[in-house]
Amino acid sequence: MAVTQDNIVKNQDIKPWKFNLKPMIICMLILVALMGTARWYQQWAAWDFGLDATDPMFDVYWMKLFWAQIIIEPILFVIFVGYMWLTRDKHLNDLAPREELNKLILWISMLVVYAFAFYFAGSLYAEQDASWHQTVVRDTSFTPSHIFLFYGTMPIFIIIGFTLFFYAITRLPFFAKEISIPLVLVVCGPFMLLPTVGYNEWGHAFWLMEEYFTVPLHWGFVFFGWSIIALGGVLVQVIKYIIDLMPKVINEKGELLS
Amino acid sequence: MNVTTVFKKTVLMLMLLIVSTVIYAHGERNQEPFLRMKTLQWYDVKWSVKNEATIKVNDELILEGKVHFFSRWPQVINKPDTIFLANATPGPVFIREESYMNEVPMIQSTGVEVGEVYDFRVKLKARIPGRHHVHPMINVESAGGLVGPGIWVNVEGDADDFVYSVETRTGQTIENLGTYATGNVYKWHAIWAAIAAFWLIWWIRRPLLIQRYLLVKDGQWGKLITLTDKKMGATLMVVIIGLLIYANSITREAYEYTIPLQGGRAVVDVVPNSDKGLITVKNKRAEYYLPGRTVTIDAEITNNHNLPIRIGEFTSANLRFINKALPYAVAGLDEGYPEELVAGASLGIDDDTSIMPGETKRVLIDATDVAWEIERLSSLLNDPDSSYGGLLFFYDSNGKRIIKEVYGQILPTFKK
Amino acid sequence: MSLEQHEAKLLSAISTPGSDAAKIARGLDWIVVGILVFAIIAAYHIHMMLTVGDWDFWVDWKDRMNWVTLTPMLLVVIPAALSYPFMEKFGLPIAGTLCALCLMIGEWASRYFSFHLWTYFPMSMVWPSIVIPGLMLMDMVYLLSRNLFVTSIFGGSAVAFAFAPANWPILAPYHVPVIHMDQVVSVADLIGYTFTRTATPEYLRMIERGTLRTFGGESTLISTFFSAFVCMILYFVWWKIGEWLTNMGSTPNVLKKYVGYSDDVEKEKQ
Repeated sequence: MAVTQDNIVKNQDIKPWKFNLKPMIICMLILVALMGTARWYQQWAAWDFGLDATDPMFDVYWMKLFWAQIIIEPILFVIFVGYMWLTRDKHLNDLAPREELNKLILWISMLVVYAFAFYFAGSLYAEQDASWHQTVVRDTSFTPSHIFLFYGTMPIFIIIGFTLFFYAITRLPFFAKEISIPLVLVVCGPFMLLPTVGYNEWGHAFWLMEEYFTVPLHWGFVFFGWSIIALGGVLVQVIKYIIDLMPKVINEKGELLS
Repeated sequence: MNVTTVFKKTVLMLMLLIVSTVIYAHGERNQEPFLRMKTLQWYDVKWSVKNEATIKVNDELILEGKVHFFSRWPQVINKPDTIFLANATPGPVFIREESYMNEVPMIQSTGVEVGEVYDFRVKLKARIPGRHHVHPMINVESAGGLVGPGIWVNVEGDADDFVYSVETRTGQTIENLGTYATGNVYKWHAIWAAIAAFWLIWWIRRPLLIQRYLLVKDGQWGKLITLTDKKMGATLMVVIIGLLIYANSITREAYEYTIPLQGGRAVVDVVPNSDKGLITVKNKRAEYYLPGRTVTIDAEITNNHNLPIRIGEFTSANLRFINKALPYAVAGLDEGYPEELVAGASLGIDDDTSIMPGETKRVLIDATDVAWEIERLSSLLNDPDSSYGGLLFFYDSNGKRIIKEVYGQILPTFKK
Repeated sequence: MSLEQHEAKLLSAISTPGSDAAKIARGLDWIVVGILVFAIIAAYHIHMMLTVGDWDFWVDWKDRMNWVTLTPMLLVVIPAALSYPFMEKFGLPIAGTLCALCLMIGEWASRYFSFHLWTYFPMSMVWPSIVIPGLMLMDMVYLLSRNLFVTSIFGGSAVAFAFAPANWPILAPYHVPVIHMDQVVSVADLIGYTFTRTATPEYLRMIERGTLRTFGGESTLISTFFSAFVCMILYFVWWKIGEWLTNMGSTPNVLKKYVGYSDDVEKEKQ
């Protein structure tokens, strides 16, 4: 039975396998451009206009940027997540295995973009804040580093994370049938870094006035950062998924069947 | 979807709420007025260069003066038992060469007594070109930095020309403190990174995920981790431990004398103040008139000195209100003091005649200036403690200055 | 546990050199390597910087007490958690090495681009600690023993035991004494004093200030030993947390009826 099926399929026109990495590369380049521009802007505008939050120039060069971010980001969030939902596959149970594999690999490649965006928020821009705290005298909640860290890099990876989450539950049967808890953690844990800013600012206003990085009021960020360990769980689920899926599209010799 | 949007919106609203309440939570102008007025009073502050002066990289700059620790120190912040004399400059654009309080070196932290005055002196050296604001600052443990008056200094030149060399006690000359021993740091990081990269490549060169997952499931550990892998692991273990031993033995030879980080405390003695008790000032009633940016103090002043005295100046939170009718007071204004911190109008005194020895007099003092607004001291209305503090400078008929604290409740006035 | 039929088929397919299946499997490997590198840099770095960051940032915080005690304790956490999926699901004894190298990349990028180029701190002040040897030893113990208890005790403690020896060769030059303003300080203290940190007064440094009971002045040794003890426990606990986070499974999706699955369809299938 299986042999016959193999033969029939072989006669059809089978598209050769190709990794579709273009979306990943384009998104990575966009991120590099965005983050690079942000960093360049910091170098340019922080020292001249960013040291004093009471300076009118601070409003021009920094607060306008902040408000632009606060307005644009929720809109982008709704657009991206809304798009994923509205263009969902309404007949996922009919999805061809080859198509499913293509989508899965595309989704995995986009996780690289998510991780890359998380890198900027969790590593580069996060630690950068420690350096800027050592230069400012008049330190408010808004500094050239906070404006990019909390309201720039964090919303960006949150938007990417939720978009990918919705991609998974609307296009990948495995994640649509049941919600993967590790995946929720990997998306929602880092998302919680943003609300944790509330704890951070409350602490800096009323509890620990001195600025060092290991203060307990920063540990909220650490706690939610840990959720990325669940990526191990996502990885295991993805591998299990692909192990079930791949035999549907390849034969024992490793050739594609559809 | 809807739930997500609602949640997102709620979070945004909360964020904005938080943001709007803490926007002025830190920093010099952003600190609450009742705290700024009752902690440090800086006076006689001088800079070795003028406001807006231009200096070159490697040029030195000295700031010195006096700082008075207010005796009615706010209960809500720690007493200045642990403090550190610093310079409020934007990070290391200037380096700190020397700093002293009452001539005691201030590399370490120290403790001071409230109600006393200390001399300070900080010597800086320009490092990074740009236009920088330079203030003296004292950090008080758990409260944060309390900033003195500042001037603008332009630094010109090339940051690469900056040098700061130091000689160690072991006779070694450090050419430049900023690059000292960094080559050694890079070298060891690179060596360890290479070993780590080797180990990762050792595994990544083979098929990783799907195959290994299936092999694990199949229990084929002999294929997953071969004898060669184990041998390589054991070898690396020996290499790592051996390298640690070797690195430490050459370090011990190269650096025979080392000391731990120094965590001691500097001790600063109080300089006795013979003026104590010469004058007493009692706050009877103080008001601030919001639209007029005016603070009015109704005070009862007793002169226990043997000479007549007059009020020359009121100062609080670095703002200075000078009695321009008194030449000693005008002369007491230091040259180069930032203009924006000196009131344009004279300090208003309803009865500016001398207070005779033994006399007690009720005086209405009026300090009006837009600086109350600019320095955000007018936000007293938002404070949970409506009180104020400041210093009154008196001059006797010989021109001797006597400084007294004045403090009390302050009442808001909306109409006049 | 033996393989099911489709799994055996897949194993044979991806083991065929040059086949489509092998290409897909290998390509997937590389993509996942990309995800892991960035995600681990971010997660491990934010975890380290906000728990023991100040000791790692500044040369004049690297003391014999807190730095040596706390850093290994926090270092062991995430590699221990990732050891579970790496080794138990994929047979890869590289969690510690990968985490260490990722942390190093993240830290150097930050110290150079932010601390040095943006806020002008000299590199002699802001270099990161060396963490690779201890975490590699942890991997080696796991590789050779493949046992949680043995790795907790010998691998977990190795992170602490290797920490001070790994860093002393780069730290020693900064502990040479200097006389400045007639005060004795180490070069590290002097660097901290010289290059102004506006928000870090001297007293904020959480460093060894001395006790009456650090017998023989062997602070580093005492700190290391205590740290090793805690690392053993933390390795075990976090390995278990890693196991829990890896095997969390799934929860029913109430939205699935919108993408073509309904209870009826499920029932029909059954």
